[in-house]
Amino acid sequence: MKWDITEHALHSEFRAEVEKLSGQNLGDCYQCGKCSGGCPVLPELDLSPNRLLRMVQLGLEDEALRNETVWCCAACGTCDSRCPMGVEILRIIDVLREMAKNRNVTPPATAGRVLTFYRSFLDCVQEFGRLSEVALMGSYNMNSGRLWTNMVKAPWFFLKGKVSLSPHKIRQIDRLQRAFKRVEEIESQ
Amino acid sequence: MKYGYYPGCSLLGSAVEYDRSGRALLEALGVELEEIDDWVCCGATAAHATSHLLSLALPAISCAAAEKQGLDVLACCSACYSRLKQTNHDLRKDPALLAQINEIIEEDYKVKPRVLHVSEVLANEIGADAIREKVTKPLDGLKVACYYGCLLARLPKALRIDNIEYPTMLDDLMAAVGAEPVDWPCKTECCGAALTLARQDMVIRLSGELVQMAKECGADVIAVACPLCQANLDMYQSDAEGQLGEQLGVPVLYFTQVMGLALGLTAEQLALDKVIVDPTPLLVERGLVEAGVYL
Ligand code: SF4
Ligand code: SF4
Repeated sequence: MKWDITEHALHSEFRAEVEKLSGQNLGDCYQCGKCSGGCPVLPELDLSPNRLLRMVQLGLEDEALRNETVWCCAACGTCDSRCPMGVEILRIIDVLREMAKNRNVTPPATAGRVLTFYRSFLDCVQEFGRLSEVALMGSYNMNSGRLWTNMVKAPWFFLKGKVSLSPHKIRQIDRLQRAFKRVEEIESQ
Repeated sequence: MKYGYYPGCSLLGSAVEYDRSGRALLEALGVELEEIDDWVCCGATAAHATSHLLSLALPAISCAAAEKQGLDVLACCSACYSRLKQTNHDLRKDPALLAQINEIIEEDYKVKPRVLHVSEVLANEIGADAIREKVTKPLDGLKVACYYGCLLARLPKALRIDNIEYPTMLDDLMAAVGAEPVDWPCKTECCGAALTLARQDMVIRLSGELVQMAKECGADVIAVACPLCQANLDMYQSDAEGQLGEQLGVPVLYFTQVMGLALGLTAEQLALDKVIVDPTPLLVERGLVEAGVYL
């Protein structure tokens, strides 16, 4: 992969913004790679966590926001706990995902399913206040176009009485929905 | 001893056995639970991966309700626990952020309640000695691999309750009820967590390797503290068997179910029938439950 790095990129607004939102100093990362050594999903990724951080250090905004790693990171926190410099890598990845979402950066193919899943999850919470696993599975399968995902597993859930078919709606749902709106407003500013 | 109980969404659905066994176990140990009034979903990874504000607002609503009830928060689900605890930590550090969240959730939350995981309450507030006294059926010789997963162990430095790479809290609880904790290297490896629907390929590989390692290290059962870990290790075990070309058959129980057995709670009280890899042949053989049909 060829990266185009200019003097300007090293002091990019992008890097400054990631630092501000995450509360992390990107200069602390000296690229030792320990974070990536423990990353459980690395075998399936196009980009290791330390290289992702390098992109942010170099101000490579498009590359840092559009890749599989930001979406397929399982949020396990192993990278954080092993970083000798105490960089909170997961917090930085969360910031990148949020930026990608707010700027409507389309994730690469399979990674897009993860964003669809998160959206379906939060839609359900917004509607009922609590997550109904049945509603989530249904809406994720609809939204992702993967109608039969996990359907082989579904009979177990029914057989074992593990699903409540009626979603649990909270009492103060109006207040919750106002909170969702307010957050959306703040984020779009 | 009384706590504000935060069940979380999974415990109303796919993890009902964690809810039932956790409540039964705590009741047997004299702990009173009062459900947090009108609690809402913690937002889990879906919220913190896409909206920092939402990931704080959702937990803050439930914690504010607990504060009004004058209670500390007790959660069983490791994911809920880590979100609620992280939120309180962030809000305590940053008064401006707290003000902003209060405005969003229309509350006057002061961040008073502590957030505790059920294992923490058992180990630190009740204590191994008090638990040992209540044991009626010691789990002699039952080899238990405690699987902590990420969310219970891998908390930021200020919030940790145990060693981050080799935690022992669940192992100590198992020892207190007479079981034999297995020394194994995957206590805090990741099972793939929330990628369960979107990237099953990753989850099957990760959880399969975990179960395989537990078995190699001699485990009879795996004890977990998180609904996502339980679902991934249990539900995908047959898929992992296919991929690894090897029979696994290791039951994956909540640690509250395992402890409950030792306190003489019944298979029904512990909802043992809800797990997929059937633990009953093993438990009947060890004289821990009555023979019968539990499906
Ligand atoms: S472990 Fe820390 S210092 Fe090393 S590459 Fe990763 S973020 Fe950078
Ligand atoms: S938090 Fe994400 S990037 Fe870090 S080790 Fe876990 S999966 Fe990898």
